Amino acid sequence: MKKNRFRIILTLLFVFLSFYFLYPTYKDYQYNKEIEKLKTADDSLAFFEKNGADILNVRDKKIKLGLDLQGGMYVIMEVDVEKLLQDLAKRKDDTFSKILNESVETSKTSDENLIDIFDTRLKEKGLSLKAYYGEIRDDDSKIKKDLSTEVENAIDRAIQVVRNRIDQYGVSEPVIQKKGSNRLLVELPGVSNVNDVRKLLQGTALLEFKLLIDPQIEVKVMQKIDTYLAGGNLDSLMEADSLSEITKQDSTMKKDSTQIISKEEKKNDTSVTKKEKKDTSKNITETDSVNKNDSNISSDTSLIPEDTTSQMSEEEFQSKHPWFFLVRPNQYQDGTVSWFVREKDKPQVTRLLARKEIQDLIPGDMELLWGNRSDFVDKGERIFQIYVVKKEPELTGGVVSDARSNIDPTSNSPVVYMEMNSEGAAEWARITGANLHKRIAIVLDHVVYSAPVVRSKITGGNSQIEGMANIQEAKLLEIVLKAGALPAPLKIIEERTVGPSLGEDSIKKGLYSSLIAVLLVALFMIVYYHFGGGVADMALLFNMLFVLGIMASFKATLTLPGIAGLILTIGMAVDSNVLIYERIREELATGKPMRTSIEIGYKKAFSAILDANVTSIITGIILYQFGTGPIQGFALTLIIGLTANLFTAIIITRIVFDILTEKGKTKINFG
Amino acid sequence: MRFLHNVNIDFLTKRKFFYILSSVLIVIGFSTFLIKGITLGIDFKGGTEVLVRFADNVDIQAIRSAMDKSGLIGSEIKTMGDEKDILIRTAQEGEGSAVAETIKNSLKTNFPNNSFEVLRIDNVGPKIGKELRISAIYATIFSLIAILIYLAFRFEFVYALGAVIALFHDVLITIGMVAIFGALFPALNLELSQGMVAAFLTLIGFSSNDTVIVFDRIRENIKLYKNEDILRVMNKSINTTLSRTIITSGTVFMTVLILFLFGGEVNRGFAFTFLIGVITGTYSSVYIASAFVVDIKKAQLKRKSVRTGRTAVSKA
Repeated sequence: MKKNRFRIILTLLFVFLSFYFLYPTYKDYQYNKEIEKLKTADDSLAFFEKNGADILNVRDKKIKLGLDLQGGMYVIMEVDVEKLLQDLAKRKDDTFSKILNESVETSKTSDENLIDIFDTRLKEKGLSLKAYYGEIRDDDSKIKKDLSTEVENAIDRAIQVVRNRIDQYGVSEPVIQKKGSNRLLVELPGVSNVNDVRKLLQGTALLEFKLLIDPQIEVKVMQKIDTYLAGGNLDSLMEADSLSEITKQDSTMKKDSTQIISKEEKKNDTSVTKKEKKDTSKNITETDSVNKNDSNISSDTSLIPEDTTSQMSEEEFQSKHPWFFLVRPNQYQDGTVSWFVREKDKPQVTRLLARKEIQDLIPGDMELLWGNRSDFVDKGERIFQIYVVKKEPELTGGVVSDARSNIDPTSNSPVVYMEMNSEGAAEWARITGANLHKRIAIVLDHVVYSAPVVRSKITGGNSQIEGMANIQEAKLLEIVLKAGALPAPLKIIEERTVGPSLGEDSIKKGLYSSLIAVLLVALFMIVYYHFGGGVADMALLFNMLFVLGIMASFKATLTLPGIAGLILTIGMAVDSNVLIYERIREELATGKPMRTSIEIGYKKAFSAILDANVTSIITGIILYQFGTGPIQGFALTLIIGLTANLFTAIIITRIVFDILTEKGKTKINFG
Repeated sequence: MRFLHNVNIDFLTKRKFFYILSSVLIVIGFSTFLIKGITLGIDFKGGTEVLVRFADNVDIQAIRSAMDKSGLIGSEIKTMGDEKDILIRTAQEGEGSAVAETIKNSLKTNFPNNSFEVLRIDNVGPKIGKELRISAIYATIFSLIAILIYLAFRFEFVYALGAVIALFHDVLITIGMVAIFGALFPALNLELSQGMVAAFLTLIGFSSNDTVIVFDRIRENIKLYKNEDILRVMNKSINTTLSRTIITSGTVFMTVLILFLFGGEVNRGFAFTFLIGVITGTYSSVYIASAFVVDIKKAQLKRKSVRTGRTAVSKA
């Protein structure tokens, strides 16, 4: 009895967990149905406003459909080593091109990598990599290692560039993954405009340096948007709101956000001065980190003018200042303003910014740019920054010749060194000289990665950026700067696109066949094993529930072969019960009582069930290791199905029989 | 209801006949495979494949000439399911899906009155195809080794070896059958895809599953009937597990058949391969795995008795 109680509790726990993990999938389905019903843009805006956070939440937790079921694009890209070798060569001549071409031809049929082949070919001709890539004293093996590192770095840059662009393109649930040392896997569900996406993935990254707009003008533009959205009269605003008035309101913002920030700023400033003493002429300091520090501890209200929050409720504030409700200003003592947007509001802000009326409110020489995927979080939510910058870039990234991140030995804080070529250096000196104490945004593909303040005129092209929170951030900035300097050439080596209608077709067929399979198997079991068959069918239903529940908890993807795996599991899952029942029948035939027969039947069948399932699971695991995408889906459902089967077929069915025999039932119908 | 209740079939005495039968099937199947081969799917061959659905039926010849005009000479063109779904495959592989664009444009200009929808585009570089081929072979070999190791732990090594030989047999027979059916019924569209490799691995899992059930009973019965002839013990074990074997293989066969019939084009290659796998996997548990064990055991016994016989002689 005690044993049974434990089994029942375990079963109920699994059932509960399965429903718990499957709930988001159900909820997502409900939301999608409701969204389909919405007609006007305003309706959907309101709907998203109300449920936005939860929609995103359930979308993240639901069982995802593979590309073969919902349609989309699957791309594998590889670093174009040939192009990289050409780009990196310090000297090039005819022999170089000839040997490289030959090596490329060889590499098509060889398992060796191109760098090795190229090296061998050069040596055959009595040349060496040194001749094209290194200094006289460098040795070949070091150059070869450096080149291989370059290939790996290139893939890191490519991931950054691709992720950035896909985020902007607005694909939901993209997968971007490094595969091996020089490949990149991208999965874009629901994408049908293949050409657009291909351009997106392969185009060269655009790095730009853009000047941030003067805070006063910036605030004015933002206020215009706010007033417009609140339904206010823009003309009156233009006349009435003189610059001084804005600054007045501005100062109220200052009041709320300063206290802790000033401390932080002070701290940061001192570290900067120290640096400047050491390296006066080459210094740019990031102020982003200041903002970040302050936002870590900022409460909800600190982003909003204090006087307003003290007088208004959230709802009131939202209706009076719809824009500032979404895009929260934060002003610092030095007069600069930062604009923060919560992750859940980002889609809405993007939608608003795309509207023509709002575009018209922004002066033609300015633009609003998003900060990159920030890793600082407030109340469990990511916060994004918006920057107001001059549309015309001061400089483009082609002039950056190198970038390195490092830990500064004297201050022990992360820094990024940036080098420019001579042409860029001259421009840079002019730009930094003319914009002292202003902020310059480092923009990659229209996303701002950093906006350091210019501390001094920088001549000679060697700059130092500091103030990053940690080395990862510095590393990211290095990648960004290099992405503009040295593009990571990628070629698509595999591309698969599934149209949405094929996916729908497949889902229908998959569900249809699963249903027939379940019904037929269940029917057969009842016909053949009567009551016992019914119990086995119940176990089969539990099995299906657990498989889906476990998949949801893993955030696994359901593919068409995955459905095939599920169907196969149905066929194989009853095997365990067949084994047990056949044993029970055998024992009953020898004249043993029901209770003993059941006990012996379960006991004797166990080793067979275990061994049989383990061998099948072994092949499943190997299949998962070697397969790609959809096939992994098949292996996964099969593995989960067989494992769950060990529980449902042995434990759950046993509960039923034990309860019955304990109640004194001596006749249970096993057909 | 009872299937095959209390049967007593002498499975193993005639095992030599089934050895010959299996060998003949393997030879025929494998020579078909070597001569005709199994069409390599896009996954393994590389190239570009476009599946389109036209609004109205189209003539394959017309598509072929359209492709020829666009410079994609020698493209493979076939219908999938009905005359509206057309699969166009070419060995040419350009950067991205440049080739797919050519195909689409050509269809647009040549069939202006018959609109079409692109259902699927696959573009696989030659490198990927080669890697997939290698990993498919590795996966098969690794599963055989892993099963050998697991069974060697759970049973005697002879049993593990017998089971793996049976698995090997199943893979060879299935390859042969797929080749034969592929050659006889082109409409089945049997080609070596990732799905088919998955089917091979699954059949390895299924077949070992079935063998293990029989072996499990032999393991148990050998302890029970210590003095009986091994062949009789094994026959008895196979007979007692027979009804289970028929039922499980039956339900699995049924579900896979459903998948084959209603699961759509994508799953068809998988389902067909696995259907053959279910049959050969069930058959091989008895006639290969168990038969192999009987022969080895008998040989061991003979050697033992010869040795004891000799000592007896020397004593005398």
